[in-house]
Amino acid sequence: MSEAITTKIDSALFTANESEEDTEICMDVNNLSLYYGEAQALKDINFKLKKNKVTAFIGPSGCGKSTLLRCFNRMNDLVDSVKVEGEIILDNENIYAPGVDVTSLRQRVGMVFQKPNPFPMSIFENVAYGLRLQGFKKRRLLEEKVEWALKGAALWDEVKDRLDESALGMSGGQQQRLVIARAIAIEPEIILLDEPASALDPISTLKIEELIYELKSNYTILIVTHNMQQAARVSDETAFMYMGEMIEFGNTNTIFTNPAKKQTEDYITGRYG
Amino acid sequence: MKNQILQQKYNQRALKDRMARYFVAVGGVSVIVAILLIFFYLLQVVIPMFESAEMSEEHSYRVTGEARVMHLGLEEQGTMGVRFMDNGNVVFFKSGSGEIVKDVNLNLSAKISSISFNLDRVILGLDNGYVKIVRYGFDLSYPNDIRTITPVLEFPLGEELILLDESKKALIQIDIQINEEGLGIVARTLDNRLVYARYQQEESFISEEVTIELESRSERSFEETISSIVLTPALDHLYAAIDGGVLRDYSLDEEGFNDNHTDYKIRKNITELKLLLGGTSLLIGLENGEVQQWMSVRHEHGRVFTFIRNFHETQYPVTEIAIEQQRKGFAVADEKGEITLYYATSQRTLTSINTAGKIITHLAWSARAQNLLAVDDQGKIYLYEVDNEYPEISWDVLWGKIWYEGYDESDYIWQSSASTNEFEPKFSLMPLTFGTVKAAFYAMLFAVPVAILGAMFTAQFMAPRMRQVVKPSIEIMEALPTVILGFLAGLWLAPYVETHLAGIFTLLLILPFGFILSAWIFSLLPNKSIIDGWEAALLIPVVLLLIWLSMMLSGPVENLFFNGDMRTYMSDEWGFNYDQRNALVVGLIMGFAVIPTIFSIAEDAIFSVPQHLIRGSLALGASRWQTMLSVVMPAASPAIFSAVMMGFGRAVGETMIVLMATGNTPLMDMSIFQGMRTLAANIAVEVPEAEVASTHYRILFLAAFILFMFTFVFNTFAEMIRHRLRKKYSGL
Repeated sequence: MSEAITTKIDSALFTANESEEDTEICMDVNNLSLYYGEAQALKDINFKLKKNKVTAFIGPSGCGKSTLLRCFNRMNDLVDSVKVEGEIILDNENIYAPGVDVTSLRQRVGMVFQKPNPFPMSIFENVAYGLRLQGFKKRRLLEEKVEWALKGAALWDEVKDRLDESALGMSGGQQQRLVIARAIAIEPEIILLDEPASALDPISTLKIEELIYELKSNYTILIVTHNMQQAARVSDETAFMYMGEMIEFGNTNTIFTNPAKKQTEDYITGRYG
Repeated sequence: MKNQILQQKYNQRALKDRMARYFVAVGGVSVIVAILLIFFYLLQVVIPMFESAEMSEEHSYRVTGEARVMHLGLEEQGTMGVRFMDNGNVVFFKSGSGEIVKDVNLNLSAKISSISFNLDRVILGLDNGYVKIVRYGFDLSYPNDIRTITPVLEFPLGEELILLDESKKALIQIDIQINEEGLGIVARTLDNRLVYARYQQEESFISEEVTIELESRSERSFEETISSIVLTPALDHLYAAIDGGVLRDYSLDEEGFNDNHTDYKIRKNITELKLLLGGTSLLIGLENGEVQQWMSVRHEHGRVFTFIRNFHETQYPVTEIAIEQQRKGFAVADEKGEITLYYATSQRTLTSINTAGKIITHLAWSARAQNLLAVDDQGKIYLYEVDNEYPEISWDVLWGKIWYEGYDESDYIWQSSASTNEFEPKFSLMPLTFGTVKAAFYAMLFAVPVAILGAMFTAQFMAPRMRQVVKPSIEIMEALPTVILGFLAGLWLAPYVETHLAGIFTLLLILPFGFILSAWIFSLLPNKSIIDGWEAALLIPVVLLLIWLSMMLSGPVENLFFNGDMRTYMSDEWGFNYDQRNALVVGLIMGFAVIPTIFSIAEDAIFSVPQHLIRGSLALGASRWQTMLSVVMPAASPAIFSAVMMGFGRAVGETMIVLMATGNTPLMDMSIFQGMRTLAANIAVEVPEAEVASTHYRILFLAAFILFMFTFVFNTFAEMIRHRLRKKYSGL
């Protein structure tokens, strides 16, 4: 049984590597619009997400960047009276097509929220949660995976002696890295980070940023941030959004040094925000 | 100026703070005080029951003259006594001083050779084979508001002597029993014969004069030495104590002795035989000071005289046993001069008093067992005052199995009163405690799954608009007076369930299948998202239809599988007896009453689990149900736990529903088809008819105290667990 699962994981990793060679494009967003009831929150968004890169969404509050982020794992479905038009293509498949299994989509597209949200369980169980959902039962295998995920989230050395203690006793920065470990434990292809460091102190923020840098070799990362410096530091590509529209999308260096649009420049230089 | 205003404002605020603090403190303290007051009030009623009995010597005086006392009697209040002397004199005297009030000579033609009594009737056996029956009494009157006692001596069967033994031999031992059918007299003669005569008793309507007519007379001769004889009130047995430690049980019928008699080996010489109040139990006093209680017990092959329990082991022969006139208590005197009080049912040794080596030959109780009159072999009379209000209670009586009179084995029984005074009260709290737990158990069995699953759905899956209707509706259910629920349960549901029993069980099968089937049909529908969150509303007509269908199927199912009548079939084939008012009905209705309590708290708890936890789980690819079970439920568990505890507490204390829907039968049977009686219902039923300050009354308070303590301890315990759980899940 465990061998079968291992094989499955290996093959999943293998196909991930294979597709990397095929194309650099991970997700393709076409004419995406989103409505909360009558109000349109996203207006005809088009862009292509590059694989194994960090893409940052910046823009003033209420510009729709978090809404856009939540479109990639369909967390917006939880909000009442949401309507989505257009398509997001992942592996040649529209994730908004009827009949798409949302739970398996979310296993491929992990998410980390603004406020650390560890479950009221032990550190070990928090990380193992997603694995258990996928049917992993063997203790040894779980231990291996949890250790791997915690190392991946640069948390292992701090918690390896207290894996059975409650996750609620950790500091905020540790909790956020735990939540990242929880997300990467199920080996998603894409990780969505919704202002992951906004509730943290500068040192914890630095650690998260280092972590993001390390993670991008294996994952495609989308990050929403208010912090311009952070976007400049961690991201390869940046999208600037305003009033539900994607004003500009491109290489981070270009956006920050030589933006094509005036609105972008105004925002980056702090004229509004 | 400005500072002054600020200071003033500050002072005002400080005052308000202080006021609020005092107000809250006073409120909290007064709640605790109120609870403590209830606690101590209950305790104060209960405690006297456990105080030990006391006996003290009030007076003692010597009887003048040569004659010997053969029998003693005492008036109800213990103020006047009567003694029968061997010279034929009957002396009424003031029990306090010994002052003689009335002295009557019976003018007997022969010497008294034996004496016995049945309540106030005394039978004298003479040495010429004749007997005389005398009734003594104490008439009460209140001339000038002074309590005056006038002694009375009557001859209820006429002044004439009655010939018992046709051989006219001296009657050495004698006993008499009177019942509705007639009277029986048995005597042992000097020449070793037992003579038994049975008389029909007729009362003249006009003169109220009683005449007796001989029905049968028979006799048996024997070789052993008989030291004591006792006749049973039903005139069906004669017990004789035979030297060498044998108790002989002669069987009697209308014709007199029949040929059956059985010997029981006691192994110690019997020195005294007395029937306990009611005549069901025989007390056997032995030479080693032991008193044994025996009674006739029903077995497969008829009745067997059986040892029940024993009392007293002082190593000194028992000289006298005096039974109480209204309870199952008795006093025993032995040759060491010790008088000890016992209570049969509770097997308790209550108290004892020593007469400094005097041998007590006769004892007499006053009717209420507050005074005991004794006479020793030197003719000295003692009057004791006895304070012995609650001899019936012991740990075993309340919580253990007791072998009661008329029962085949020891058992837990609650039966506090009956139509006759000779009845043995049975105060086992076990059946009541059991009934309480049983009723709560079945109610919880129904309520917990329904309430918690309902709360889970309402809080996390139901459309907000539907939830706004559902939640208050269920909470309003809690305001329904339980008397109405009990009324419905007893008068509508119980008979309905009885006639549709097969339908109820069909429903248990049909509901799940119907749900699965309707879920399948629902999954085939296009565009399901329109009714997202309104699934429960869609299910209402389905549930109603399924209930209707089951009830319609009830008759056919009964015809098909249970020969037309499930009740009869169950009791014949499976041995389940069916009470109309049973745990099923109580479970349903009390469950209905408990559901709002559990639902409301559990729903609040599940609803208030933080959204970021739920989103975190969903973002990891968990389905809504997986999220519910592995994240929401653990986080809500402390409150759900306390919701269940609250529900259980309510079910335990619930009175009206169980009172009206259980049949109030104090049985110890876990069967869902049997009724029960709970502690709370028992208090409600019996408190109005319990005599204030009686044992029964205090036991009811004890039951209340137990309920109180149970709730108190249970809630404290639950709260402790809740706190621990909450600590575990705090910081969310």
